[in-house]
Amino acid sequence: MSPADRLSRPRLLHPVAWWAWGLLLAAAASRTTNPVYLLLLLAVVGWVVVQRRETGASSTMGVFLAIALTAVAIRVVMTILLGSAIGGRTVLVDLPEVPLPDWMAGVRLGGPVQLEALLDAVYHGLQLATILVCVGACNVLADPRRLLRYVPATLYDVGTAVVVALTYVPQLADDARRVRTARRLRGHDGRGVREVARLVVPVLESSLDRSLALAASMESRGYGRVTLAQKEHRRSVALTMVGLGGVLVGVYGLLDSSTPAALGLPVLAVGSACAVAALLTGSRRDRRTPYRRDPWRAPETLVIASSAVAAVALSTAAARDAAGIVPPQVPATWPVVSLPLAAALLAPLLAGVLSPRPPRRAALEDRAREVAQA
Amino acid sequence: MTPTPEIVRWRRTSTIAMTLVTLVGVLSFTWPFLVDSRSALTGDHSTPWLFPVLVGLLGCVLLAELSRGGLDAKVVATLGVLAAMGGALRVLSAGTAGLEPMFFLVVLGGRVLGRTAGFLLGALAIVTGAFLTGGVGPWTPFQMLATGWVGLGAALLPRVGERAERWLLAAYGLLTGLLYGAVMNLWFWPFLGSSAPAGAGFDAGDPLGTQLAHYGVFYGLTSLGWDLPRGVLTAVLVLVAARPVLLALRRAVRRASFGTVPAPGDVPRGPRQDAGRGLQ
Repeated sequence: MSPADRLSRPRLLHPVAWWAWGLLLAAAASRTTNPVYLLLLLAVVGWVVVQRRETGASSTMGVFLAIALTAVAIRVVMTILLGSAIGGRTVLVDLPEVPLPDWMAGVRLGGPVQLEALLDAVYHGLQLATILVCVGACNVLADPRRLLRYVPATLYDVGTAVVVALTYVPQLADDARRVRTARRLRGHDGRGVREVARLVVPVLESSLDRSLALAASMESRGYGRVTLAQKEHRRSVALTMVGLGGVLVGVYGLLDSSTPAALGLPVLAVGSACAVAALLTGSRRDRRTPYRRDPWRAPETLVIASSAVAAVALSTAAARDAAGIVPPQVPATWPVVSLPLAAALLAPLLAGVLSPRPPRRAALEDRAREVAQA
Repeated sequence: MTPTPEIVRWRRTSTIAMTLVTLVGVLSFTWPFLVDSRSALTGDHSTPWLFPVLVGLLGCVLLAELSRGGLDAKVVATLGVLAAMGGALRVLSAGTAGLEPMFFLVVLGGRVLGRTAGFLLGALAIVTGAFLTGGVGPWTPFQMLATGWVGLGAALLPRVGERAERWLLAAYGLLTGLLYGAVMNLWFWPFLGSSAPAGAGFDAGDPLGTQLAHYGVFYGLTSLGWDLPRGVLTAVLVLVAARPVLLALRRAVRRASFGTVPAPGDVPRGPRQDAGRGLQ
């Protein structure tokens, strides 16, 4: 037994654990625009993905990276062309300004490009890129389709649609590339706005075709509607209506000063409780039996805990307005970095050690080691 | 180009739930105008967080209510794929201008798919975009609700001839581009407090007229310049692409022949009678 398997034999970690790990890191990234912290998070996510990526898992990371880089580039170009609300002192270039009518206040075309505004765009772009990479890591580490089993029964259909959407976005890029290649082969140069516009209809058509094929395959695998028994259905509708009505009255009570105090918060609380109960009605009766159950053992908890450390540390620091979480834009200076916080951001690295090795990859690694020893 | 039937049934309970959530939503968006200094909510730093949580909860309840009785696999797959396109458009538009070409898809999709699916498409496109761009935050529930309304509204517009429909949808796109901005500013306007420019800030003690005037100044100063291009972009995209996109969507809806199986929620039946339909 290799030392990596001491905590658990090779298996796939519970998908919810990986998604919670990644989304907590994304949440942490959304609290800071400090480039040092963001780069740290990127490095951590990258290392864990390299360590725990299953052989043959989806290679969507590249697409996510490409989208992330595009997002940074678009943001920077927009800032150069349209300016930003940041302003700043250090003017890098002074572009000729195109005069716009007065009612377009807020939009400026051309004009001076300041270092501060540019840095701000890069920081925010980097934040977006980090969040994207975290989500991409979730996709690579745990196939989102495996999450389908864990959506509460009342939101099952809607949740399925969202998972379909998330899975389908990279294929959309594929479709667009294929249509563009086809147009190139027919002698169009495949560049320019007009060519991009030509992509819309073929991509839409092929997406819709794909959705029908997907629906057929879902139905052939027994995806059916779930309905409640009539009694429960009625109870659930009643709970929804009472909950929504209660929330409405409660909010009104909170806003209107002439109503008695009892009408405000208590009614709102009761209404919200009914709404939550309506969401949960029928969840327990859900008799969907997965083919392969994902166990929840110590590694799952440890993986989530490791990224919770980073998220909590950053959120607390952000709530306290600690220096360097959101570095001041004007004037441009080197951002402050706190060492304890940086250490907390490294904690999610543990996920790469504590989580079990994915089975196919573990088998390959073990075989390679045996060959090396022999 | 004959109109296609709605792909998901709109029930009486949907109307009630939508009305109630819309009322709460309107209150959540417009509460800065309604409070006075003696209300339980006076707009200090913690109270604005109540509304994102509330709208998030109600959004979930509304989604559950609209999809009650089950969306079939075809609806789920179609909504998923269209939401993916919306999400991708949102990722591409992330950045300074917030021009949101996604609205074009929500307007046309809502028009073809009908009320329930139109609302779901708007909300799911926002969720997908939020997951992809990592824009998940207190604003996401508001965006879901507002974009869902955009899709629902497109389905509620009167049925007109083909050419008139194009212009109607373009005008609707322009209008919603503006309204969306005006509404979405409202949720964070009270947060600005004293940092807003003079004559444009929020003070719970002011009378309604002053509040509206201040918000008008704030909107004109900050947001109108962004919202107008967004509305114009949506309108132009609709004008240019409405015909082929509507055709493609309607053809797909017709080919999929949604709703040929009676929805199980309508007829009194035991639970999960058709759950294994695909296996029979």
